Amino acid sequence: MSNHQPIPEDDAGQDAWLETLIVDPANSNNPLLPALQLLCRRDREHKKRLNRLLRISDGYYALARAETDSLLKHSNQQIRRLEKISRISDRYQQSLLEWNEQLRRAALRDPLTGLANRRMMIERIEEEQERARRRHTDFTLAMLDVDYFKQINDTYGHELGDRVLCSIADAINSNLRNYDLGARWGGEEFMILLPHTGLTEARDICARVQKALAGVKLAQTGQTLNITASIGLTPYRGQEEYTQTIDRADKALLRAKREGRDRIEVA
Amino acid sequence: MTMNSLNIEGSRSTPQILCNADTGVISMRGDAYPENSFEFFHGLIDWVAQYLVETTHPLVLELYLIYMNTSSVKAMMDIFDMLEDAHRQGREVAVHWYYDPENERVVELAEEFREDLTFPFTISSVDE
Repeated sequence: MSNHQPIPEDDAGQDAWLETLIVDPANSNNPLLPALQLLCRRDREHKKRLNRLLRISDGYYALARAETDSLLKHSNQQIRRLEKISRISDRYQQSLLEWNEQLRRAALRDPLTGLANRRMMIERIEEEQERARRRHTDFTLAMLDVDYFKQINDTYGHELGDRVLCSIADAINSNLRNYDLGARWGGEEFMILLPHTGLTEARDICARVQKALAGVKLAQTGQTLNITASIGLTPYRGQEEYTQTIDRADKALLRAKREGRDRIEVA
Repeated sequence: MTMNSLNIEGSRSTPQILCNADTGVISMRGDAYPENSFEFFHGLIDWVAQYLVETTHPLVLELYLIYMNTSSVKAMMDIFDMLEDAHRQGREVAVHWYYDPENERVVELAEEFREDLTFPFTISSVDE
């Protein structure tokens, strides 16, 4: 061997060095030359194969990545869609709840006067009865009927009569405490529920309502109508059914009517 | 093959649907909370798909919808997506959503539907 320079460290340098050895005329008779040539050829083949393999597997990797990306994009779209569906659906549900609440309110109110109706009053009386039974509290019911209301209708017509009824309802309602409940029971008849209230206090409240009714005016002319009302008043007793209480209030009211109206009868 | 018109009678829980193959107008009226919404909307979705493939005419949706349950919301979104695809391919499509002025909440709902869509989508009161 004529060439004794050190073997280069990098691939390209080594290739060049091998090449120089092979073509060097000084090595042309070296018996190992064909073997070296064979090894170099094989080495080149292997490198080529390795590169091809890498390129192909890189291709597969890119493919898989693209697929994942598209799946991810697709699933993000689906999530967005689902979110949109839920948002819209929630809004519909919210509307339904509101409609429901409106209906519920409408179902418990007297449409003319806006006072509670019979159904709402019964519900509240049932609750009060429960409370009275459990905690031995008391409550009082007043049944109120406007005296000679037919005359108002006959004199001023039904439309004005209805407006007077609304003023009467306001007069009753504004003289109650906020935990009392006034309801239109029918026609010109009203029911008043006074929770945690004994007879003496109840009587005072009823008198206050009567006084307010006396001041009700005809909206158009401002003329005072001198409205009076008869009232039957009764406390809830012991373990009785509330229907008995209502019944008693009714009878007391009848008595108030018979005894000349514009008065409170207690039973 | 010629397109047939499609008429679906309305009921308490399903809207009336009229698909006119001659005018390219679909109108839907009423509430939508069918028991089986897949089955109910199947016919409409097929009709729209067929119309978009077999004709080149414009397609207009006129909606007078009030209440919709969740699966009906999804079905409507599917239909809007079909229109959006067609629109992106140059097809003339539009949605006109009409609401009762007594029920302004429907506006917000329709706006929510309209989000992300690029074809003409109007929301107006039936009075206008």
